[in-house]
This record gives sequence, structure tokens and C-alpha cells, in this order.
Amino acid sequence: MNILEVKDLDMSYKTIDGDVEAVKKVSFTVKEGESFGIVGESGCGKTSVAMSLLQLQADNGKITNGEIIFDGKNIVGLSESQLREVRWSGISIVFQGAMNSWNPVVKIGEQIREAMREHYPDKTKEENTKKIIELFDIVGLDSSIIDRFPHELSGGMKQRAVIALALSCDPKLIIADEPTTALDVVIQDQILKEIRKVQEVLGLSLIYISHDIAVIAEMTDNMAVMYAGSIVEMGKTDKVFSNPKHAYTKMLLESTPSIVGPKKKLRSLDGEPPSLINTDSYCSFSYRCPSPDDNCRNRNIEMELTKIDSEHYADKCCINCG
Amino acid sequence: MYKYVFKRIYQLIIVFFLFLVTSYVLFDSIPGNAFQNLLLNPELPPEAYEQVIKLYGLDKPLTERVFLYIGNFFQGDFGYSYKHYPRTPIDLIAERLPRTLMLFAMVNIVAFYTGFLIGKILAWRRGSKSETWITVTSVFSYTIFYPWFALMMLWFFGYKLDWLPIGKFLYPEKWYDAPYDSDVIFVSMIKFTAVVSILQILVYIFTRNIESLNLRRNARFAGFMVLTIASLFYWNSGDLLIQKPYAMDIAYHMILPIFTVTVVAFAGTALLTRTTMMEVMKDDFILTARAKGLSQRRIRDRHAARNALLPVVTSFIFTIVTIIDGSVLTETIFSWPGMGQLILQAVLEEDIPVAMASFSFIGIFALIAHFIADISYAYLDPRIRIQSQG
Ligand SMILES: Nc1ncnc2c1ncn2[C@@H]1O[C@H](COP(=O)(O)OP(=O)(O)O)[C@@H](O)[C@H]1O
Ligand SMILES: [Mg+2]
Repeated sequence: MNILEVKDLDMSYKTIDGDVEAVKKVSFTVKEGESFGIVGESGCGKTSVAMSLLQLQADNGKITNGEIIFDGKNIVGLSESQLREVRWSGISIVFQGAMNSWNPVVKIGEQIREAMREHYPDKTKEENTKKIIELFDIVGLDSSIIDRFPHELSGGMKQRAVIALALSCDPKLIIADEPTTALDVVIQDQILKEIRKVQEVLGLSLIYISHDIAVIAEMTDNMAVMYAGSIVEMGKTDKVFSNPKHAYTKMLLESTPSIVGPKKKLRSLDGEPPSLINTDSYCSFSYRCPSPDDNCRNRNIEMELTKIDSEHYADKCCINCG
Repeated sequence: MYKYVFKRIYQLIIVFFLFLVTSYVLFDSIPGNAFQNLLLNPELPPEAYEQVIKLYGLDKPLTERVFLYIGNFFQGDFGYSYKHYPRTPIDLIAERLPRTLMLFAMVNIVAFYTGFLIGKILAWRRGSKSETWITVTSVFSYTIFYPWFALMMLWFFGYKLDWLPIGKFLYPEKWYDAPYDSDVIFVSMIKFTAVVSILQILVYIFTRNIESLNLRRNARFAGFMVLTIASLFYWNSGDLLIQKPYAMDIAYHMILPIFTVTVVAFAGTALLTRTTMMEVMKDDFILTARAKGLSQRRIRDRHAARNALLPVVTSFIFTIVTIIDGSVLTETIFSWPGMGQLILQAVLEEDIPVAMASFSFIGIFALIAHFIADISYAYLDPRIRIQSQG
């Protein structure tokens, strides 16, 4: 069963310089209980995808096309009150800047209970508190944290509490948008393990977003590589790793220390990602492609995923580059 | 928290001490006073002159007199009025202070609350037509020349429409055979306002822990209704039934000054609330609140406005000091015989003991207001609350 099906999603931000096409024809599916990864360098539109799923993109952002079928229902264009029901009890999210996800003047427990009150209006305070303590237990927090203010917690504790918050309304899908970026390495590792554990124990569906392909390898069953607003390669994580097809995926892999296999020389990513404003319809990777052929830049190529084998797709244009 | 409170009190005492010394020295340096006018009388024999000087301690050097004054002050001895002998400054102040207290407590509460409410709505409706218009109006009323505006209000509502009384704090003809002095009525009114405010806050605090939002709202409404009904009973019982018409008369006279000052004073709070709230709305936790599926109203009040309140309260604390000059202006324009007018007269007539004592009382009043605002600030911001524990 698919918990989420995204079909041809387009989202763009209106700016004075023109429209920023942050999400272009993105399609992917997340199966129930699986962990799905999205990887790509900063600015490629990962957060924009996540925000589109909750329809919480900035005021100047608009979904211009596509469907988001969550739990069998298209949620694009739902009314605000219908969306409020989907949010948190359907899809919850651990934000990129999770350190600042807490309101500084409200106690942690109250901020979690507040969400539960919204989605389970009939629960008593005791029931809610009991559940929070259980969740804290799962993420490795002491129950006394309930009565603490955010500034009394360390970064790692705040982040664990954010995970507990994300779990509080029994969501069917959790999005984790670079949840460890702001933490130091040791804590990062703990949090990653925590998320993985929670996901497996509770059988949750997870979308894990990161710029770090090594983390994606560790955390996900299936993955998509994003470049300039589009998905350029997608498939089973081990297939993408063992047999990368797209030149950009290869670049990403070469820029990361290998977790398994022989030592290789690291390469840094050359070049800059292209501007997302008014992109032309030639291959957006052609500027950075190690071996672009004339077709790439000249011909009007629609980005299109093509099947490599079962459960592995890559952008048609770049399969044979690099 | 206790440590914080004690630290504040300790600072207050030092500030108050400095305040007393400065005012005493300043008043002393004013050339001439009502007392000297008396002494300049050529008919006064030199012996009597010497004796009076000695009696009042005026032969002592300034430094000694300052400490003498402060010593007497804390023993509740403020000397005698030069002008209204044998009335004491305390006597005069006891009559005037409740009037000022009542008016300015009301004005400040109403102005702050209106300002905050309007600012919050402005920020939330960012970009709408109504936001533009209300912002423009606020800027206008923020920059308006207050005395002129107050006179226009008097002219319009008091004379042109004839809805509200022009100046004064009561209709004297109603009070000819009043069984009470106006002071008594004022004190009753202040007591009542204070008790109702405290009860209202208690209702709020006790309903905080009700988990269901609907139930909480209903409980608060019920509490409000009970208070209202209890107030009605209260004012219709015993002594207060007799006091009621007089209290109503005073309240009627308070409408115009409160309204006028509010129109001028709300705008500062509203504009500041608007800007800080727009800043807060960019914060990540607002996004979290939206992602949690909370209602717009709850996000606005509980998350955005609650955080925007902090800088607004800070700025409000600073404006409390303007009670002193504000009261002089407002009371003069609206012929409100309170502390402001007392100070003005005392200074003009060079009645130093009265001026000194009233300054000190307004000083105490302002410091206490500061103190309350400081404490509520610490309550509002847990980061200060916790820090101050350690
Ligand atoms: N509110 C916005 N207005 C205009 N452009 C935006 C806005 N938010 C993001 N962008 C742009 O959209 C692109 C994708 O951003 P984002 O989704 O945050 O990428 P990522 O999460 O992969 O770093 C970037 O080029 C970014 O500058
Ligand atoms: Mg991002």
C-alpha cells in the first residue's frame, strides 16, 4: 500500500526577479512503513517539496500543478480546515531548524499537549501527559522535561523532544528535513539512530531529507536524488548506490567518503547549481556535466525519468554522461 | 524569582533615595519661595525672623537639611504647607492621590490593552486594506499634538454634541447634600476595581489547566458572568447603594479623559506590537504551530502575540514615567483636580513642602508601577524568570 503518491508536482515562488521554480514535475511514492530519502545539495528544492506536502510553503509559494495523494485522497487544494486535520495527525514534520521549533515562552509539555488537544479533543490532561511520557521514553528523554522551558534543554534534548512532538498525534507519515544539521557529530549520530529505531519499532512511514548521501544510505530503503527542483534519479537505495546512473548522483557519491568498499579519492562537487528562475527546457545539469554532448544544451529536452531496471529510474539525458 | 524580586526592591530603594535628594536640591535652588515672601515682610522684628528661621531649620547647611528632610520623610513628617497652613502636604495629597490613581490606572490599562489588541490584528491582517487604514490612523494619532487634540475632543464631545461633561470630575450641584466626601467614593471605586481585576486574573489562572479548549472558554465566560453579577449585587448593597449615584457621576466624568488619552496613547503600543509581531511571525516555531494544525487564532494569540508582548511590555515600562508630566497636562486640560494640578499649583506658588511631597508620592507611584511591570515581565519571559533564580 502506498501511503503517499506525489504526481507531477510543480511549486514555484513569486519573486521580483521572476518565478523561482523550486519543485518541477516531481513524482514519487512512499510505501507504508518504508523510509524514503531525498538527497541533493542545498537549494535544490528539498525543503520546498516537504513544505508542499503539508502545504505550508511560504506565502509567495504556490503549487501550480500536480497531485499529492495521501492515504488515498488528493490533498492539493483542500480547505484550510481540512488541511489542519491532515497536518500532524496525518503528516508531521521535524524541521530543518528544529532547534528553533519551540516557542521560547511555553513549556515543552504544553506545546506537545497543545497539538494533542487539537487532534484528540476528548482526551484528558492526564491521558495526554501519560502519552508524552511514553514518547519521551522512546526517544530517550526524562519525563521531567515536560515541565521545562525550551531554553533549559540542550540542542540534542530539544531535537529528541521535537521527535516526540512529531509522534504525538500518531501520524501516518513523518517528514524529517535535515533534522541533525544543527547538531554536533556525536549527537547527530544518536539522533539518527533514534529516528531509525522509532521508525522501525512503530512501523512508520518516513521521508528523510538530507544533503548528505551517506546519511541517506544509512537511513532509507528507497531514495530520490534531486537536482535543481527535479528528481534526476530514484530507486532502491542499495541499487542507486551500487549502480549510480546519473552523472550528478555519481558526483555526489564521489564527494562523500565511502562507507563500504575500498578507499577512493574524494572529489569535491564542481560548479554551482543553476538558477531556478525561468529555467529553459534543456538539461539543467548540462553546465556541470563532465561530458555533455551537443544535444544536452541545444535540444529541447524534457527532463524525464527512464527505467533502468525494476525499482531504479534515472533522467534519460544524463544516463550515459560522466 | 524571589531573589529577583528582592533585587528589584533593593534597586528601587536606592533609586528613590537618589530621587529624593535630587528633588530636594533642585527645589532648594529655586530662587525665592512662599516662605521667604513671608519673611521679607519689613514689619517682622529681627528676633522673630531669627526664631522662625531656626524653627524651620533653614539656618542649617543644605547637606544637613537634605538628610533631615529624608529622615523626617520616612517618619511620615512632611512639614506644613506654606500656602495652606496649617494643612499638611499629606493631608492635601490624601485628597488628590486617589483621583489621579483612578484616572491613570484606567487610562493606562485601557490604552495598553487597546493598543496591543489592535497591533496584533494589524500584524495578522498584513497587507489588507483595513491594515493600511488603521496603520495610517495610528501613525496620525501617535504624532498628534496632544493638548490641541484634547481641547478638540472637549469642544466636540462636551460642547458641540453635549454628550459628556466639560472638565471637572463631578457635577457640584449633585453633591451639595452628599453623605460622603468625594475621596470616600474614589477609594471605594479604586478598591472595587482592584478586587475585580484580581478576581478576573484568578479566574484566568485557575482555568488554565482545563484541557478541553471549549470547556476552558466556557469556564472563563462563566467566571466573567459571575463577577459581573456579583459586582451588580455589590454596588446595590448597604452603604454602596448610597454611594452608587456619586460613583456613577465620577465615572461619567472619567469617560472623556480616558477616551482622549487612549486615542493618543494606544497608537505607540499598537505600532510597536505590529512590528514586533511581524518579526515573531517569521520565527520557526510559528511554522511548527501551523504544521501542528492549530487554529489561526491560537497561533496568533498563543504563539505570535505572546512573544511579541515582551518588547511591548518593556517599552510600556518606560512610558510609565510619563505619568508625571502626563498627569499635569491631562488634569489641567480636563480640570481634574488630582496630583498633577496639585504639583503645578505648588510649584507656581512656590509652596515647596507640598511640591516636594507630591513629587515624592508620584515618584513612589511611578516606581511601584515600574516594579509591577518588571515583575510581570519576568513572569512573561521564562528566560528571565529562570536566570533570576540562579
Ligand atoms: N520563500 C521563497 N521565496 C523565493 N525563493 C525561495 C523561497 N524559499 C526557497 N526559495 C528558493 O527555492 C529554492 C529551493 O529552496 P529549498 O527548498 O529551501 O532548498 P533545499 O531545502 O534543498 O536547500 C532555492 O533556490 C531557494 O532560494
Ligand atoms: Mg532545506
